[in-house]
Amino acid sequence: MTETAVANATPQPPNTQAPILSVQSLAVSFENGRAPRVQAVDGVRMTIYPKQTLAVVGESGCGKSVTALSMLQLIPRPPGRFDRGRIMFRSDRGPVDLLTLGAREIREIRGNEIAMIFQEPMTSLNPVYTIGNQITEAILLHQRVGAAQAREIAIKAMSDVGIPDPERRLKAYPHQFSGGMRQRVMIAMALACQPRLLLADEPTTALDVTIQAQILELITGLKDSRDMAVMLITHDLGVVAENSDVVCVMYAGRVVEYAKVFDLYDAPLHPYTRGLLASIPKMRTKAQTRQHRLVTIREIVDDETQFRQLPGAENGVRPWWPWHKPPADLTPRDEPAGDYDLLEVAPEHWVGVWRTDAVQHRESREPDIGYRVPARA
Amino acid sequence: MAEPDPASTPTPNGASRQWRRNVPGLVGVAFLALLVAACLGSLPWTLTAAASAGGASTVPRYNAGDPSAGRLPPAWWPPDAEQSERLVSLVPAEQLQSIADHYGITADDLLHARNQAATAEAIRSAPKPILGTDVLGRSLLVRCLAGGGISLGIGIAAAGISVIIGTLYGAFAGYVGGKTDAVLMRIVDILYGLPYILLVVLIAVASDALIEEFVSRSGARDAWSSRTVAQISSQISSPTPGPSPRLEGIDLDQPAPADDPFTRALAAELSRETHRTEDQAREQLSRHVDATRGDLLAAAALLARPPREGLASARVFLDVCTLLLAIGGVSWLTMARVIRGQVLSLKGQPFVEAARAAGASPSRIFGRHLLPNLLGPIIVYATLTVPQAILQESFLSFLGIGVKPPLPSWGNLAAEGLSELNSFRSNWWLLLFPCLLLAVSLLALNFVGEGLREAFDPKRARR
Repeated sequence: MTETAVANATPQPPNTQAPILSVQSLAVSFENGRAPRVQAVDGVRMTIYPKQTLAVVGESGCGKSVTALSMLQLIPRPPGRFDRGRIMFRSDRGPVDLLTLGAREIREIRGNEIAMIFQEPMTSLNPVYTIGNQITEAILLHQRVGAAQAREIAIKAMSDVGIPDPERRLKAYPHQFSGGMRQRVMIAMALACQPRLLLADEPTTALDVTIQAQILELITGLKDSRDMAVMLITHDLGVVAENSDVVCVMYAGRVVEYAKVFDLYDAPLHPYTRGLLASIPKMRTKAQTRQHRLVTIREIVDDETQFRQLPGAENGVRPWWPWHKPPADLTPRDEPAGDYDLLEVAPEHWVGVWRTDAVQHRESREPDIGYRVPARA
Repeated sequence: MAEPDPASTPTPNGASRQWRRNVPGLVGVAFLALLVAACLGSLPWTLTAAASAGGASTVPRYNAGDPSAGRLPPAWWPPDAEQSERLVSLVPAEQLQSIADHYGITADDLLHARNQAATAEAIRSAPKPILGTDVLGRSLLVRCLAGGGISLGIGIAAAGISVIIGTLYGAFAGYVGGKTDAVLMRIVDILYGLPYILLVVLIAVASDALIEEFVSRSGARDAWSSRTVAQISSQISSPTPGPSPRLEGIDLDQPAPADDPFTRALAAELSRETHRTEDQAREQLSRHVDATRGDLLAAAALLARPPREGLASARVFLDVCTLLLAIGGVSWLTMARVIRGQVLSLKGQPFVEAARAAGASPSRIFGRHLLPNLLGPIIVYATLTVPQAILQESFLSFLGIGVKPPLPSWGNLAAEGLSELNSFRSNWWLLLFPCLLLAVSLLALNFVGEGLREAFDPKRARR
């Protein structure tokens, strides 16, 4: 494949297509009773290209889901609020800022151009309707087709996601399906309208490992055949390694590292990312097991020297870490999250850093990688 | 494709299986089916008039009776001496004669109970109502059937109204949430605090007065009178001061002979109002001889604004309607609370979020995803509201505020029966049967409601 050759040769130039979606300095906060607002997400930036899978990784509460939900305005407001930022989406009718769309306009995008699948396949389907009823509902919401035609599309969507005997299964109720099958139904619903971007919010967390692999393979396959982009939210680094092109690591509402998947795994630059990768249990011989305890994230991020290994560290570029005292030469911008910057420390490799003098004077692009992993064997 | 019927949804918790094990509920359902079929099914028969021999009667069956056959006990109860005598007198003359002939006595002997065997024979052949008769000789069975139909009808309709109001109110409050929810629920709390029976009485009395005014048009007559007097007084000036009541300078206590200027002017006004000639109007007024001006004015007002005729039956209908509105209007509170709670918990379900992410509008989510999931609690509370509404209706009718005689309901039948209970002679059947029917049907409804609640709620302890 020529594309493969190109991808392997140089840092691949962004493919001919423009990004489908770019998040620009998104900040979302929530009311918290009388206490100050909780800043769930601050200064988040990312870009997704067609046919690309962007994996967003991080621990619970780091803002992964809030970012995804913001894209469809599914954040309940109040208590939620979009403080700053834009989410530019290349829709059928030209570029739009998803955050400023009216209720009607965003409804036309939801499920139609951007679809979402959720973590809980067991409860994401309405128990009182048949599967067929729910898939056709999604189709009828956005496509001008008759009931018979919608049924055809639903059957096609179900066979696409590998549900055997779809015509008969149309009449089944959700409780008659297993978890994996329900997630397939959710994917069929999401894909029935040919969306251009699929937000998969931990799609496999509730499934067992074999089903997990099947579902992810399914999503990847559909992505390629449909020219669709995928934002894969997960906290499973194994899933990330096998299914993504670009990885965005988040911590405490900010992006701490943003790179191509192999760059990130080969040379993680932020200590937190190193901690995440180091804490994956590995298969070892018996002798090795005696010597190696499992490394925890804390062991790495508590190690000061880890924070001095960044390219440009000699100039005072320090990885951003909320539990550290900011460096003395911090020159924050006059805005929230102004002490932080996403810096391209290596080609196509961004790291969240303190906004020190050195950082201020460095040229830095917005995180933007059009890379796609060459087709896997 | 076929729309699935939500009611027949296979529920994972085995509601139907649970339900089939509930014996009191099953017995209740059977009894209710029978009762509803008998009472509501017979309404078209009981509410219409019987075709009598001498042409069409206008008295509906529930109100038809011969006072001479009044206060008769149920057919299977031995009549006392006085009742026996009346029973014998009810036997058709020819049959009486043939019985008398058979025993070799005269019909007069028979009527005065001079031969015991013959009297017993005559009593046997007398027409006896199954459940006895009331004071006016109306069959208690027919009245109980009609009253049951009306009570059950009002109960079911009022429960329906309260379910609709309660569901919409509670679901709206729960779905919108926030401050709106808080305000709506505080309103419910306040209404809870008010004695509901007071509200029902107020609504019933106020609407009754409104309907009365609408039918009789007395207010319209008063307005017409004062307007007419004002006009007449502007035409004729009779400044005769006196001690009698006056209106616009006209002494209404003066006699009004035919040549009186007031009478003439009144006739002119009346002719204009009723589109008759002035002579006709004057002739109508001249029937009132030796009348004062005030009397003439009242008569003219009645001619100009007569009470609405033909509304008597509509009146009954309106009475019943206001009653069920009043009951339905105050019994939706529990429903609203239950539904709100359900909606609050459903709202957080992932499938609602999924529907939003699929681009469904709030109204669509509400109607398609929330309401069908509320069906269980709605059914349960509807069945529990019906007996409440029936009880309220009967209670109000018992007090004389609800269904008004001669239209029967179990409540006013019981009130009637109670008034017949005295130390001289107890016409016990008049009190017993309506009360028994009411009590047993309430019991059955509550069994069914409880059974449904248990079937739909898997968390409740199984017995």
